[in-house]
Amino acid sequence: MPSVLIVEDDVAFRDRYVATLARDPSFEVVGSVGTAAEGLNALSLRKPDILLVDLGLPDQSGIEVIRYANKTLPACECMVVTVFGDEEHVLASIEAGASGYLLKDASEDSFLSGIRELMAGGSPISPIIARRLLKRFHADASVAEPVRSSSDNVPVESDVSLSEREREILLLASKGYNYPEMGKLMGISPHTVTSHVKKIYRKLAVHSRGEAVFEANRMGLIRTL
Amino acid sequence: MKPTVWALSARFSDWLPARAARLAGRFLRCLGAICFITTAATAAIGAPDGSGQTSPAGFITFDQAQFLQSPSIALPPANSVWRVIDLPDSWRIQKRDWRQYGWYRLTFRHLGAQHDGKSGEQRAIYITRVTNNVEIYLNGSSFAVSGRLGPKPQESWNLTQYFLVPSSLIREGENEILIRLHPDGYARAGIAQVVIGASYLVEPMFARRHFIQTTAPQLITGVLVVMAVFSLTIWLRRRSETMFLLFGLMATVAVVRLFHHYLRDTPVWLGALAVPAMCWLTTLQVNFSLHYANRSLPRFERALIWLAVIASVFLALAVMANAFWAATGIIYGIYALLTPVLTAVLIYQLTRVITRGNILMIVAVLFTSSFGIHDFLNYRELLGYDRLYLIPLGLPLLLVAVAALLVRRFVETLTNYESLNASLANRVAIRERDLAASFARERELDQQRATAEERQRLMRDMHDGIGSQLMSTLAVMRRGTLTQAALESIIADCIDELKLTIDSLEPVERDLLVVLGNLRYRLEPRLNAAGITLEWAVNDLPPLDYLDPENVRSVLRIVQEAFTNTLKHANASHILLSTGVDRMASRVLVRVIDDGTSFDPEQVRGGRGLANMKSRAGNMGGDVEIIPLKGGGTCVTLLLPLTTFRAKPAA
Repeated sequence: MPSVLIVEDDVAFRDRYVATLARDPSFEVVGSVGTAAEGLNALSLRKPDILLVDLGLPDQSGIEVIRYANKTLPACECMVVTVFGDEEHVLASIEAGASGYLLKDASEDSFLSGIRELMAGGSPISPIIARRLLKRFHADASVAEPVRSSSDNVPVESDVSLSEREREILLLASKGYNYPEMGKLMGISPHTVTSHVKKIYRKLAVHSRGEAVFEANRMGLIRTL
Repeated sequence: MKPTVWALSARFSDWLPARAARLAGRFLRCLGAICFITTAATAAIGAPDGSGQTSPAGFITFDQAQFLQSPSIALPPANSVWRVIDLPDSWRIQKRDWRQYGWYRLTFRHLGAQHDGKSGEQRAIYITRVTNNVEIYLNGSSFAVSGRLGPKPQESWNLTQYFLVPSSLIREGENEILIRLHPDGYARAGIAQVVIGASYLVEPMFARRHFIQTTAPQLITGVLVVMAVFSLTIWLRRRSETMFLLFGLMATVAVVRLFHHYLRDTPVWLGALAVPAMCWLTTLQVNFSLHYANRSLPRFERALIWLAVIASVFLALAVMANAFWAATGIIYGIYALLTPVLTAVLIYQLTRVITRGNILMIVAVLFTSSFGIHDFLNYRELLGYDRLYLIPLGLPLLLVAVAALLVRRFVETLTNYESLNASLANRVAIRERDLAASFARERELDQQRATAEERQRLMRDMHDGIGSQLMSTLAVMRRGTLTQAALESIIADCIDELKLTIDSLEPVERDLLVVLGNLRYRLEPRLNAAGITLEWAVNDLPPLDYLDPENVRSVLRIVQEAFTNTLKHANASHILLSTGVDRMASRVLVRVIDDGTSFDPEQVRGGRGLANMKSRAGNMGGDVEIIPLKGGGTCVTLLLPLTTFRAKPAA
């Protein structure tokens, strides 16, 4: 049973999350705190499987909590709860190590399904953020290139640069396709799509931790082109 | 060295009369020194007596001769009466008869081979100056002529003569040299001292004299010609450089002046030109020196020019009236009197600012003016008959001054050019900095303007959109007629409105698909909740350059409106969104087709929403078409321009 830690300073929202999660017996809420300091404390004490965190905490940014969780509990899935899901907040969270985000105004159903999707693979990526990620990873990625076979990938760079598959997924996501549609278009199962998405989230986090490594690989990539 | 010069100049300007007096004194001393030097130099060449014998030195210098005048070209008879005269013999000073020939008799003894063992030695006769021509006899036999004799004699007023004496004519014992002088109408007829002796001794004397009197002026003429051509060419290219014009003209008249110093056959006109050439040389030298010193005395310079003009005209008239000699005397006299004044003026002007060039120029002026006066006196034979003319020898000094000037100018030009380049680079750098700064300012202003516009737009949006929506919600709530569900729906709408505003601000880089995709991302959960499936069938679209946040919002509102209509009124279960490009019509198409109840755009359902959609599309240069489908459903098509958006008049 996945354990869930909630870090949210607004009591109404916190209660709502707790209530919503209580509807699904497969989740166990192991903590529900209102500050980043308490959150960090609870993380090391409870070691949750899932962290739901608000970015606008009174003492510190939620980003710090994500970063800490990512460092000390690599298995923990971090999820940001945001008001608008705007690019700036979402990208910062992903870079810190979050692998998905939820909207605060989401209905209880979509809230729960969002968490389940996260557990299954990765949160849906909005087209704007997909496009942004493409740009981050490669300047040329925005150009719709013919999909290459996976053998084209250079293994050395696979840890930080995008594979052709991942790039294609981001490209389709930026055009507004959802996971099932992508799977159909690419001839893979929706589940494979979500696992690719999860890798993308991870890569962005790694990428932002090692800007220099990324640069080096980018140079390498250019050479192989 | 410099400080001394400065101190001197300061003292000069402090007390002008003293300075003028000193300058005059210097000038006179200078003149005296020159007279002394030339006298000594000339004297060193010759020495006494009308007859003699070969001295142990190997040559005799005759400073006396026996003389008689005869109208006949034939040798004087043996019984002729000779009288002893001094050499040099000036006909003008001695008032000789110009219509007769003059005979000069010189005798010397030759002791023979058995006595001195030198009978086989080559002998030569050297006459330092003759005016005009002579024929020379030894023991009654003619052996030398100095030039073509009458009726059209060659002119050689300033030539020195040297002839070898045929050994066969020399007798043991008494020998007689007879020299017949042809005055040829020359005012300055006469003969200087005569030297007879071993050729190897006499020839070097002649060579020295010939070099200084003839060869040097010829060389100087060559240099002057080159300089004249050079200066005048510079002036032709750069008309503002008056100094080069002045120098070029000066060198030219100097050349004209120099010709008659050594030409053997001077044409009459060239001989006559020598006199005005002297006037112009003086005038131009004054003008040139003033220019050289960067001074200007317009009236003075003009007066000198007029004087030269008058002198030239006067001389031309005199030549016509056959009064050349008299006129020349007057003109030369005037200029000789003027020379000290001109010299004083020039030196005064040249010492106003002391530069190396000016000092050089002062030296040149002092020498040339002294030489001028000397030559005038020489010309009038006031210093004797046989003296060197010095003006040709003074001209090189001017050349040196000009060369110094040219070097200075050349170096200055190069230096200026370099510093100009440097300052130009500097100015360019400054200009670049200014430009960069002004660009930065402009960018900042642009940014501020953009920010202000954005803020305004947001304000308008808040005001017309979410603001008014919240206000009306509040009003309805106050009336107390609002149900919980209705309130939720209104607030959800408000949040949608907010999200739409925020999404329109995200950078989409002119990509319409990203905009539409994001709208789907936002709305699909609600459509799904209402039991509607959304089918996505988009084709790639080219970047639309007019897709700024404002237009993004317009597109979002239009498509959202289409969805909302379907959601609220159509009772549909399926929506198909497709995009495409109509290249023929240069349009981008966004089509939303539902399978609900079709509606008549004229009727209630469209209402204000439809008008808004059309108006928004029109602002982007596009349009919205709503077509009810047969067998149920509605097709809403948003048509947008493919390329540049051109604003239509608001519908």
